[in-house]
Amino acid sequence: MVDLIFTVISLIVIVPLALFLGVIYSYLLRKLSARFQWRVGPMLRMYGDLKPLLGTTRLLQPLYDILKLYGKETIVPDVSRRRLFVYSPFLSLFFAVAAIFFIPFPGMPLLSGVPYSLIIASYLLIASILFTILGPVASGSPWAAIGARREVELFLVSELGFVLSLFAVAIARQSLVIWEISSGGQSLYLALLTVTAGALMFVAMLGKLHIKPFDMPEAEAEIVAGPYTEYSGKLLGTYYLTKVFLLYGLVALFISLFLPPIATDVLWLPLYIVAAVVLVFLLTSVQVLNPRYRIRNAINWYLKVAIPLGVLNFIIALAIWLVV
Amino acid sequence: MGIMDKARIYSPWLYHLHCGGCNGCDIETLAALAPRFDVERFGVQLVPSPRHADILLTTGCVPKQFIPMVKRIYEQVPAPKVVVAVGSCACGGSLFYDDAPENYAILGHPDLLIPVDVYVPGCAPKPEAIINGVVQGILKLAEKRSKK
Amino acid sequence: MSTEIKILKQVLSKYSKPMTLTYPSGVAPDRRYSQIPEGLRGIPERDKDKCIGCRACYFVCSGRATSIYDKGEKRTVEIFLFRCTFCAHCQEACPEEAIKMTNKFEIAVPNREDPAARVLTELDLLKCKNCGTPYVTRKLVDRTYERLMEKIDPIVKETVSNDYKKLDGYCPDCRRAYGVDLDTHTKKYVWLEGV
Repeated sequence: MVDLIFTVISLIVIVPLALFLGVIYSYLLRKLSARFQWRVGPMLRMYGDLKPLLGTTRLLQPLYDILKLYGKETIVPDVSRRRLFVYSPFLSLFFAVAAIFFIPFPGMPLLSGVPYSLIIASYLLIASILFTILGPVASGSPWAAIGARREVELFLVSELGFVLSLFAVAIARQSLVIWEISSGGQSLYLALLTVTAGALMFVAMLGKLHIKPFDMPEAEAEIVAGPYTEYSGKLLGTYYLTKVFLLYGLVALFISLFLPPIATDVLWLPLYIVAAVVLVFLLTSVQVLNPRYRIRNAINWYLKVAIPLGVLNFIIALAIWLVV
Repeated sequence: MGIMDKARIYSPWLYHLHCGGCNGCDIETLAALAPRFDVERFGVQLVPSPRHADILLTTGCVPKQFIPMVKRIYEQVPAPKVVVAVGSCACGGSLFYDDAPENYAILGHPDLLIPVDVYVPGCAPKPEAIINGVVQGILKLAEKRSKK
Repeated sequence: MSTEIKILKQVLSKYSKPMTLTYPSGVAPDRRYSQIPEGLRGIPERDKDKCIGCRACYFVCSGRATSIYDKGEKRTVEIFLFRCTFCAHCQEACPEEAIKMTNKFEIAVPNREDPAARVLTELDLLKCKNCGTPYVTRKLVDRTYERLMEKIDPIVKETVSNDYKKLDGYCPDCRRAYGVDLDTHTKKYVWLEGV
């Protein structure tokens, strides 16, 4: 009974916490990439004389963006399939929020202890991304259609890497429950797997979060705004909110799967934050150092790098399972 | 001032509409968005679709063939919105201004088609002048909200 | 991959300080605030005491930004900045060096009728002695006389000088009408030429 109450409370707490952390990660992404480009980026401490007008800090800049979008007029195009167009951002957000319920946070196991939680979490993440494709397709804009098509192609190849790395870990750890994986011990062989499968997961995250070499679905100045071309106001804000939750979710999933036991106990919280910041820093450095790939290049790259890496992962995982 | 009004001032997104002209103002506008005068310090972002924008930044005088596009793009920007005209061409027609006889190809300043809120004259204006104009645009955006 | 490492090294080597200027915040002459290059052509400024209302700037203005009009007893010389291309032709053409390009650049204005969008100079007009119509500025008459005396042929200098002083204060219409009474008719120049 106490467990149940604790779980319910933690489920309620995790949503604002995930939002806050996701906002901080997105802020870090923007700030770090700005600093890489020798500029200031959203200011952590505003200039003294501009404080009354522009606020003291912009740490929550992504949140302000979302709030502003919620305060704007929402335009629904006539040619769109209205129901799908309007509901898919909310469904996408719903699935993203549902996915983070299955990913543990230090001190909060949440629902990560339920059977097959690894599969549930990965399915929910996939569903969330699926609705970022379906909505734009329903908008009736050719730019959105091109963007959605690119997103589908990218999604198919990046998903392969994502699933391969997830199941390599699952095989090596002999479990499909995230909580069991994240609370398991470490050994030399598992550390090796962490490196290879972690690299694969990182590459898949690039594709899912549209980090620079793989940002062709929403290629600015090329296909207008890609899938989000026709979205405005609240619906766009919902998509941005989804992005924030997805960023948090993927970072949390990465840490809980590949850096056990950081995501289990509350005492690990500082290390968890450090790991998350390092991960965001790596994502940012990839983003600023790469130009945008064409979709064909991206697919080739994934097939050349991700699949052999995935197979290698499987061999390592099977070896760990059978030998160790 | 509520949190929504604050958010509106904190994150104005900018759509750059090039109506026609010599591209001088466009280069200066991009310079204003580049690291030297980084406007992302104040949360201003360049967005690729007019549907995401708060501030419509127009440069250049409007050729007659471009009239429907200017109107359409203005209508695509969701309310509340602000239009900032950058450069002398977008403010008063500049060299392309003709009283009579009327120019056969060029309509003149976009003010004839859409309501412009802030004018930034200059040929081309300094990036600082554009930032100044955008800041005035942000203030107008805040006003528009408080009226509702 | 090696290229990326090279770029990363380059980025991190100079990564100590961002190169962004602190534009809207800070003090104007500070270099970190804003970079104003030498010879920046900003808002033109007209010295009211020097301007004689001669229309030289009006004739050279490439963007048709300058206009001159008389209203009542005032002559208004105006530069409409919305049409100005900041080419500084007027600065070059001005015989009195009354126009100067400043390095002020903050000219964003909220509407067309804003006073900041125009560089206005109002000059007093001289009234005709005879009919009372305002027609020209005092300074223009004086400066024209000075310049005329500098360049004129010595043979006619005295005659012209006398005529000029006689005509001073009459509007063009009255000069034409009372040319014989004032003995300023141009016929005598023809006679002089014959000599």
